[in-house]
Amino acid sequence: MRHSLSIAAITLGLAFAGAAQAQSTTDTRSVTVNGTVAQVCVLGAPAPTSINLGQMAATSGTRTGKLGAIADQSVSLPATFCNYGGTQITVVATALIEGNDEATPPSGFSKAVNFTANVSGWTPTAASVTTTAASDGSNATTTSGGPEQAQPNSTSLTLTLTNFSAPGDSILVAGGYNGLVTITLGPDGGH
Amino acid sequence: MRKTVLTATIMSLGLLAAGAASAQPVTGSVAINGSVASRCSFSTDNVVLNIGEMSITSGSTSTLGTYDHTKLDGLSTPLTGFCNGAGATMTVEAFPMLNTSFTGAPPSGFDDRVDYTATATENNVSATDTTLTAGPGAPGTVGYFSSNITVSFSNSATPGGGKMIAGPYSGSVNVTLTPTT
Repeated sequence: MRHSLSIAAITLGLAFAGAAQAQSTTDTRSVTVNGTVAQVCVLGAPAPTSINLGQMAATSGTRTGKLGAIADQSVSLPATFCNYGGTQITVVATALIEGNDEATPPSGFSKAVNFTANVSGWTPTAASVTTTAASDGSNATTTSGGPEQAQPNSTSLTLTLTNFSAPGDSILVAGGYNGLVTITLGPDGGH
Repeated sequence: MRKTVLTATIMSLGLLAAGAASAQPVTGSVAINGSVASRCSFSTDNVVLNIGEMSITSGSTSTLGTYDHTKLDGLSTPLTGFCNGAGATMTVEAFPMLNTSFTGAPPSGFDDRVDYTATATENNVSATDTTLTAGPGAPGTVGYFSSNITVSFSNSATPGGGKMIAGPYSGSVNVTLTPTT
């Protein structure tokens, strides 16, 4: 009879051993870390921040009183970037306008000087705009957008002012002239 | 059949008892065996940490838009678990934070990835892994324990120190407890 009890105990032991083997487990937990980076564009500070063309009219020779030769002007905007694709440079240029005399200039005179503003470096093709102010200073502001930059981009921009001209090559009205170029960097019109 | 055996058993015991009264005692034994399997288990669920904006949003133009390592370095979170065997181990495998919306290679001067070191600490035992190399780090032997495991982050940085590409980023750390085999 004792012999029979021993067999039963061995059987129970085997059963426990089987159960223990099935319960042996490895366990894993994950810690997920999420973050974001917002879309941002930064235009580098322009250098120089202003351009003084000085005396613009010729003071001697056959062009006396008319616009003299004005050298091309350049402004650098270093450390410019957008951290996302689908961006565009927009240039708003306002012609140099004589601001002290509000009267319409007589025939043969002009109170405006037009120019071309070209912003290069953002895309292979630059953003460019040419002002088309009339001699009386009207229609002074022109806007143009450049091509889309499809990738995040970090670069230096160069603004170049060229092709200074007076409407009709008229004699310039005396006074102080002020123009303005505004560069905007951000999502293009389709975004 | 069972009835027959029981009857026989009772009769035999009865005979032994009767015999004990007049002869040597006889003892019968019943062995009871059991076991506890080697086991490790977490009692807390997976954890999600949101660190928000990861880039530097003001200050010098040289660092503007680059990764702000203070967002992740020093961050920690607990997991609770136990192992019931002396040789149980803890292993960490960390995966980098990647931009989940940007595809392709980052343009020059930009990064779309944050690498870091993850460390899991249970009392005085640590296991660590860096996302700079694939696969888990070396295991640490935790043995018997039932307590918190602290998962912490350090040495986070982007590969090139460039500006970060906009978008959502996600990474993860797997902590695995392996029982004695």
